This record gives sequence, structure tokens and C-alpha cells, in this order.
Amino acid sequence: MEENQGAGRMIHHESMTARPEEIGELIVALLPRLRRFARSLSRNQHDADDLVQVAVERALRHREQFRAGANLASWLFGIMKNAWLDDRRSRARRGEVALPEDSGEHPAVIPGDASTTLWSITEAMNKLPEDQRLAIAFVLVEGMSYKEAAELLEIPIGTLTSRLARGRGALAAALSDQGKGEPA
Amino acid sequence: MNFDDETLMAFADGELDEARRAEIAAALEQDPALAQRVARHRALRAQVTEAFGPLLDEPAPDRLVNAARGARKPAAKTRRDGDVVQFPVRGSRARALSWRGREWGAMAASLVLGGFIGWKLLAPSEPMMVLSGSSLVARGALAAALDQQLASTQLESDPVRIGLTFDTRDGHLCRSFELRSAGTAGLGCKVDGEWRIPVTSEAPARSGGVRQAESPPPAVLQVIEARISGEPLDAVAEEKARDADWIGAKR
Repeated sequence: MEENQGAGRMIHHESMTARPEEIGELIVALLPRLRRFARSLSRNQHDADDLVQVAVERALRHREQFRAGANLASWLFGIMKNAWLDDRRSRARRGEVALPEDSGEHPAVIPGDASTTLWSITEAMNKLPEDQRLAIAFVLVEGMSYKEAAELLEIPIGTLTSRLARGRGALAAALSDQGKGEPA
Repeated sequence: MNFDDETLMAFADGELDEARRAEIAAALEQDPALAQRVARHRALRAQVTEAFGPLLDEPAPDRLVNAARGARKPAAKTRRDGDVVQFPVRGSRARALSWRGREWGAMAASLVLGGFIGWKLLAPSEPMMVLSGSSLVARGALAAALDQQLASTQLESDPVRIGLTFDTRDGHLCRSFELRSAGTAGLGCKVDGEWRIPVTSEAPARSGGVRQAESPPPAVLQVIEARISGEPLDAVAEEKARDADWIGAKR
């Protein structure tokens, strides 16, 4: 219980500096959201968890940059976005092509089943350009407002809106193609 | 009138200011094709939200918990089941729009622990929302809850949580809801005998069977604020409205 009271204190008393063990417990509480967000940027759960781990370790190394009272979730999502882009770039430099590789996760297709839908959507998202994918991950998966998403992506709201609209169009088209039985 | 796709998308997401929202809402009444385009945006959003929602109920692997605690090796002390975790409220906007305390006091009841009915028990073969004509409408367990469930008597184990019930400016009744295990919140409005869903959104923070009761997400609150007429119904009025089959107040 003491840990939890500590967590509450940090949230409500904004001038307090987070102690390492406090920020750690807050991150633990955020892990489900971090994993879900990472899942929308990755081809499978293993890659997603690798991304979360990189982001969490980076956050802890730079915890002094976190302003007490700021939104910890936003800060972590921003770090994860950067970690994801770094990873994409280093893969590209090494000549790894992310696109045609298989996700390795082919669930039995059960129409209407939540895990089948998740698989279809992540396959479709993998075909989107990075900027559109991030817009969709922040707004549709994580449920952020356009303003929050634009701030994290460091772009104007108009740019975010346009990326989101293009991404949604492409996502809808890809899902509709899958529905017609074309190879994913 | 012609609206570009970005504007219709922002309308569907509850991101437009009131004047623009009203303008488009009026245009939708006249133009089924336009309404269809908005409904497609909502349906895609709902599809994504519902697909990713159940991931929030998955326990994080030890390696991530240990990473967060700054431990290299598995920590000797693990979290006990039933620990209560407080979540930061997401975003300043969520706070700015937070609903009147009085209405939420009853349902917020501090922290609500565990006890999700698993998503799979909700018979995923039976969708809870379908696209009907140009609207997303409730089906299955969601429609049943909107029809029958009262916020004053619902249980923590009910798969759908009902929030506010209120009259709208155009004389209908709407009810906010949350699909507990799907991480989805939304609004249902009874129109022509069906529960239309004008907005859905990811529901606020939750984690491994521990959640904090709080007001609907900003996207849902915005639609509520745009539509509500007067105060939300109290428990007595809610029950009366149910007995009258959710026929909205004639004004």
C-alpha cells in the first residue's frame, strides 16, 4: 500500500520530484497502454515488447528530464515514438526491408473474433508510411486528441489531420482488400 | 453542401468546434451520402478501438516490469494481486472537460477492482455494433444494456457500464456507456427504435484488472456537451425513461 500512496502523492503534488522507485511503479502501471501502443507499431507482440523495453530503459536513464507534474504517459509515448523511428532507420541502414517479411503470427481466421481483427489491422497498418502509422497509433489506438497527437509528433494540427485522413483511407482500403480474400 | 474528407473525419472524431459541428450535423440530415461517409469514419475508429482494447487486459511480461523498476534480474518482490494503482489522468484536456463532480460521484466510487467479464465471454461472433444504413447502431449485449440497465443498480460484473442518461436538444435520449473489457467508451442515442452510436472512443486508463472509475474520454464528453439539454437524469427519472422505452422528452 505504501508504494501506491507514493504514486498518488507524485501525481497530485506537482512540485514534487519523482523518486526513482516512484516513477518505476508509475511506469509499471502504464505498461498495458505502452504495450498496446507498441503493438500498433510492430508486426508482432515480441517486437512490440522489445520496443517497450527500449523506451522504458531510455526513460529511466533520462528520468531527470521528466518534469514532475507533466504527463508521464505523454512523455513515455514520445520516447517510444523516437525509439521506434530510430529502430526503423537503423534497420533501413542495415538494408533490412521491413515490408514483405512475415509477421509469424497467423491466427486461425475466425470472422468477428477480436484477435483476428487485431491481426488484420496490424497487417494493414504495416503497409502505411511511418508518419500515417504514427498518426493512427496516437489517435485511433491510444485515443489521443488531435492536439495531443500533433504535439507529440511536433507537427501542426493541420498536418496531423491530413496524415490521419490519408492513413485512415489507406487502412480502410487495405482492410477491405483483406475482406475480399486477397493475400495480406 | 460539400465537405472535404478531413472535415468529416474531424467531425466523426468529435474534434470540431460547436459552430462547425452544428453545420455538419445539419448537412448530414439532408444528405445520406455525407452521413454514410461520417459513419464509415466512425466504424473504422470503432473497429481499431475494439481490436486493440482487449490488449489492455493482458498482463505485462516480467522482463518489462523489471525494466520499469530498473532491475536487471527478476525482482524478489512482485506485486501482490489486488494492489491498487492510481493512474495519471490523461492529458490536460481530460481535466478541463471533466464532468460535473456530482454526476460522476455516484459511479466513480473511487477505485474499482478487477472482475472483468472476459471479452471472449461476450460472444465475439455477435457484434455489439453494426453499420446500419448510415449509422453505427448497438446490437447484442450493448443494445440489451442500453435498453435495460440502470446506472443506479448496475453491478461491477456487468460487461457494459452505463454512465449518464440525458435528454438531447432535439428531444431524444442518449446514454453514455463503456464496454469494460474492450476498453471502449461511447454514446448511444435512441432514435427510431434503435440505439445509434454517434461516437466511440478508447476508454481511460486501466491495467491488468485494476481500473479507476472516471468520466468518459474527451471525445465522448465533447459529444455529450454538444447534445445535452439540461441536467442528466437522476435515478428516478432514468427508471421512468426506461419504462417509457426511452422515448425522449417532447419539447
